[in-house]
Amino acid sequence: MFKKFIYLQWKSFFRAAGVATKLAQKILIGVVWAYFAFVFSGLAFIAFFGIQDDFGLDPLPTVSGFLVYAFVLWVVIRYFIQKMPMVHVQPLLALPFSKKSIVHFGLTKSVISFFNIVNLFFFIPFGFILLKEDYSLWGVISWWVSIGSVILATNFLNVLLNSQDKLLLIAAVVLLGLFGMQYYEIFDITAFSEPVFMAPYHQPLWALVPIMLMLLSYRWSFRHFLKKLYMDSDEMRPKNEVQRATELKWLDGFGRTSFFLKNDIRLIVRNKRARMAVWMGFAFLFYGLIFMMDMYDTPVVKVFVGIFVTGGFLFSFGQFVPSWDSGYYPLMMTQNVPYKEYLKSKWWLVVVGTLVSLPLASFYIFFSWESYFAIIAGGIYNIGVNAHMVLLSGAYTRTPIDLNSMQRAFGDKKSFNIKTVLLGIPKIFLPMFIFYIGVLVHSKLMGFILIGFVGVLGFALRNLVFGWIEKVYQEEKYDTLAAYKQKNT
Amino acid sequence: MIDINLLSKKYGEQTVLDIDLLNIPSGQTFGLVGNNGAGKTTLFSLILDLIEPTTGVVKNNEVVVSKDERWKTHTAAFVDEQFLIGYLTPEEYFYFVGGLRNMKKDAIKAALEPYKDFFHGEVLGQKKYIRDLSKGNQKKVGIVGTLLSNTPLVILDEPFANLDPTTQIRLKKLLKEEASATGKTFLISSHDLQHITDVCDRIVVLNKGKIVRDERTSSKTLEELETFFQEQL
Repeated sequence: MFKKFIYLQWKSFFRAAGVATKLAQKILIGVVWAYFAFVFSGLAFIAFFGIQDDFGLDPLPTVSGFLVYAFVLWVVIRYFIQKMPMVHVQPLLALPFSKKSIVHFGLTKSVISFFNIVNLFFFIPFGFILLKEDYSLWGVISWWVSIGSVILATNFLNVLLNSQDKLLLIAAVVLLGLFGMQYYEIFDITAFSEPVFMAPYHQPLWALVPIMLMLLSYRWSFRHFLKKLYMDSDEMRPKNEVQRATELKWLDGFGRTSFFLKNDIRLIVRNKRARMAVWMGFAFLFYGLIFMMDMYDTPVVKVFVGIFVTGGFLFSFGQFVPSWDSGYYPLMMTQNVPYKEYLKSKWWLVVVGTLVSLPLASFYIFFSWESYFAIIAGGIYNIGVNAHMVLLSGAYTRTPIDLNSMQRAFGDKKSFNIKTVLLGIPKIFLPMFIFYIGVLVHSKLMGFILIGFVGVLGFALRNLVFGWIEKVYQEEKYDTLAAYKQKNT
Repeated sequence: MIDINLLSKKYGEQTVLDIDLLNIPSGQTFGLVGNNGAGKTTLFSLILDLIEPTTGVVKNNEVVVSKDERWKTHTAAFVDEQFLIGYLTPEEYFYFVGGLRNMKKDAIKAALEPYKDFFHGEVLGQKKYIRDLSKGNQKKVGIVGTLLSNTPLVILDEPFANLDPTTQIRLKKLLKEEASATGKTFLISSHDLQHITDVCDRIVVLNKGKIVRDERTSSKTLEELETFFQEQL
């Protein structure tokens, strides 16, 4: 029976719109994998020898202690990014598959995900270093199995958690709370988690506990979905939301563009998938914090951060223009709709998103003025150049987004994926390059000014660029329409 | 209104539509019938410039639709659910499509008034999004969306499908009234021979992409059509 499911997956991949681009993406994704493999195994070395040599601590207990953070953080990140494996279960329900096997397949498939495998890149090298440094073989194996079980347990919990926003909030609060208390030396969670995660190392029998935990979490989500495998459950179909009265009169000043702006705002408010784009934008505000540590503290990195901190929403929402409207693209194409108005509305949204992020990101001043300059320069560049760039690349992104089915049990839940990041790369390296020129010519300040200048230039030329993008959209029209006809791919 | 010349659409080797000549004069209620795969939706999609013709052109009001977008100002269409915006309420949807045709909100409200019966109290003021309506009610929203703004040309692909019997009768009445009162041109396709002969004053039969019958509706038309499709067995 599993063979049949895999067959369906296989077909849906190769018969999806734009297979060629998908293959190119696969290759790029391969590169990204290699990158993560490199980073995580590097991290394993740093974790071991850094802790041993620089802090004079025993690496295994120290890493074990901090694992609790890693796990809670994983839960949060997974919530935002991990896609549930796609099995379009609705058509399967009436076929002679047992419900149990449908759910088993969905859950099993979720194991083979980036978020589980990437951990191997850290724990396998780390384990080998441990063995090489004469840690006990059985201890390390039992430690491995325990960690692996906990990772899988979070994976299955995540499947559950995905339908509950509240749990995410709790996980985030717990994470921040623990970290805060540790930082201010009120309460050190690692002192507790260290013996917990070290126990299987000392006594392999303890590994049974996380294994049990994993089995239980599997059973829990299995039962949850088995119960919910009905067409009318929340997991399978969107809720009948109570309508929020939204007249949005204040937008009328935008003239004809206001019709689209109103729709776009309703799109975001009423569809979980579109709302996620806003949350991603918010999350990216804090992206720079990772880079505020000394080792990354170079101006070029600041430019990189500046683009991302202000451009989170721009990238996560803009990448999927016009896919957000894929469900009713033929309507748009037959209405009395000038492309320009349509594009302008999307442009306004991403520009406003970027503008809002500027004051919100002002807390970076506490780190350094230079950081905030980079953010302002990045913001201007995003508005002037990247806002156009995302709309342009959107013309070639032909993944239909099925807004109506986003809450399906194993459906494609998250709008943010690796592809989004990939398409963002060219939009990020150019400003870094411009900055570098500025530094070569004069100074860092000159670099920031140059980035800003290019942004302003792009903004000044926007009408010209819009005309150009419009043409691309028109040329791509038939292909886009054809691709959007294939839903659920 | 619509002038079609040597129009064809091929997918690979397969010709799905091949029409030498078809003129639909202004004010006509034009009915299109044919079995699945006969090319009805393909023809409508070509008229709406949703797909590219392999050869030939479609002219809508003297304008080649694939070259010039001016036809959009006087054409309204409802082909399938891809012409609806699921996350809007029916009212918001009407304000959107009406607004795009420069109607003020009050004018749209007033224009909706005559369709109250047709909606049968299940569409307006329901505090539901279109995606949560039943298929039949969604269809009502789509149909009214095309009638509301008084465009001279209205294209409806299988408007009778999915509607309950009472609503089908209401729709027939509605379409007849609209056609005679406003002089609109209608392009309608249907599998229901009874309905389409009732509503339309000209019937064209498509078979495997070609026009095989083209005639003005008379008292004999229904019988003749039934015989024709009988022969296809």
